[in-house]
Amino acid sequence: MAGPNTKSKTMTTLLDGLWRDHPIFSMLLGICSALAVSNKVENAIAMGAGVIFVMVATGIIISLLRKMIPRRARIITYMIVIASFVIIVDRFLKAFYPAISESIGPYVGLIITNCIIMGRAEAFYIQNNTGQSILDALANGISYTYTLGIIAVVREVLGFGTILGFRVMPDGWTNWVVMAMAPGAFFVLGLFIWITRTMAKMESD
Amino acid sequence: MKDKILMIVFVLVLGTILTTALVAVNSYTAPIIEKNASIKMKSSILSALKIPYAEDEVERVFEDSVTMETAGEKTYYRSSGGILALPYEGSGLWGPISGVLAVTPDLTEITGITIMQQEETPGLGSRIAEAEYLDTFVGKVFNPVLTMLPPGKGVENDQVDSISGATMSSKAFVDILNAQYGEYRAVLEGE
Repeated sequence: MAGPNTKSKTMTTLLDGLWRDHPIFSMLLGICSALAVSNKVENAIAMGAGVIFVMVATGIIISLLRKMIPRRARIITYMIVIASFVIIVDRFLKAFYPAISESIGPYVGLIITNCIIMGRAEAFYIQNNTGQSILDALANGISYTYTLGIIAVVREVLGFGTILGFRVMPDGWTNWVVMAMAPGAFFVLGLFIWITRTMAKMESD
Repeated sequence: MKDKILMIVFVLVLGTILTTALVAVNSYTAPIIEKNASIKMKSSILSALKIPYAEDEVERVFEDSVTMETAGEKTYYRSSGGILALPYEGSGLWGPISGVLAVTPDLTEITGITIMQQEETPGLGSRIAEAEYLDTFVGKVFNPVLTMLPPGKGVENDQVDSISGATMSSKAFVDILNAQYGEYRAVLEGE
């Protein structure tokens, strides 16, 4: 491909990941962990960083191996590559950030089954070169992280009266316990998907 | 046939490479993770004994002021002032609760209490781990158990309040304390 074409392909990859094919509101992938880990901004950032790392690493490995991977062994290859990087993230958090590891606990392990990573591996990394795959991984990972971040800001402010542990609500504020629990996540994520889909529709009309 | 063999060889080779990488990561992080766990335990014991410590000095302060002792199969800790720190664990309402209970040398009065791990409902049951609640246990006496009463009713020194909205979690917590205290008492007084 010539210069301008590559450039427009790069733009497309980025825009698709960040907005048009947004993994959460457009493809509805990764919902499980988005609900579970969005009760505090700190957890959302840690989870997002973990997912971005695993996605980029998986993107690099899969796109480098894409000509060697036997067609019928694709899924198991994704699984073992993703699982290895997830275990690395888990051990790293346990060793250097024990407090964060404790609060997001089992969900780090569940990055393995985060459909965004499997989905992008099958849809993108297996067919594209390493540069494009890294971009795609970054775009999708950042999408996932900013979505978690937005939901977490709403939930932490209403459910705990804080942002990143700092008090933002007045002293008389009564915490909405429901926001700290699972149902709150459904409400906020539902609203988020409604708003973003309405915006996306207005754009395409 | 050739495809199948190729497939198996590919998966095996990739698997071996990744496993080797994981073994390397594990042997690098394992000692750090173990150290984190022991620091967590030690800081919990120090907090229960009300010994002040700085985050980065946990090990040194612990060495200086706490000794480990055993009785039967129980391991417990004694501060230089004679206060006993008894690690406990048991089932809460939703998951395990563990921590450290500090009592006077004659095993009667509670001088401090900490919770290391709990998985109760955030905002409701999880309030058992808040210092404000745990502080209400200080000065209480096992007779031979603690009795739990609704909020505001626990006035005698062997009575404690439950948390409004989290009766089950507070009850589970006090049951654990009573059971584990009983076990410690049995081995310590049997000596």
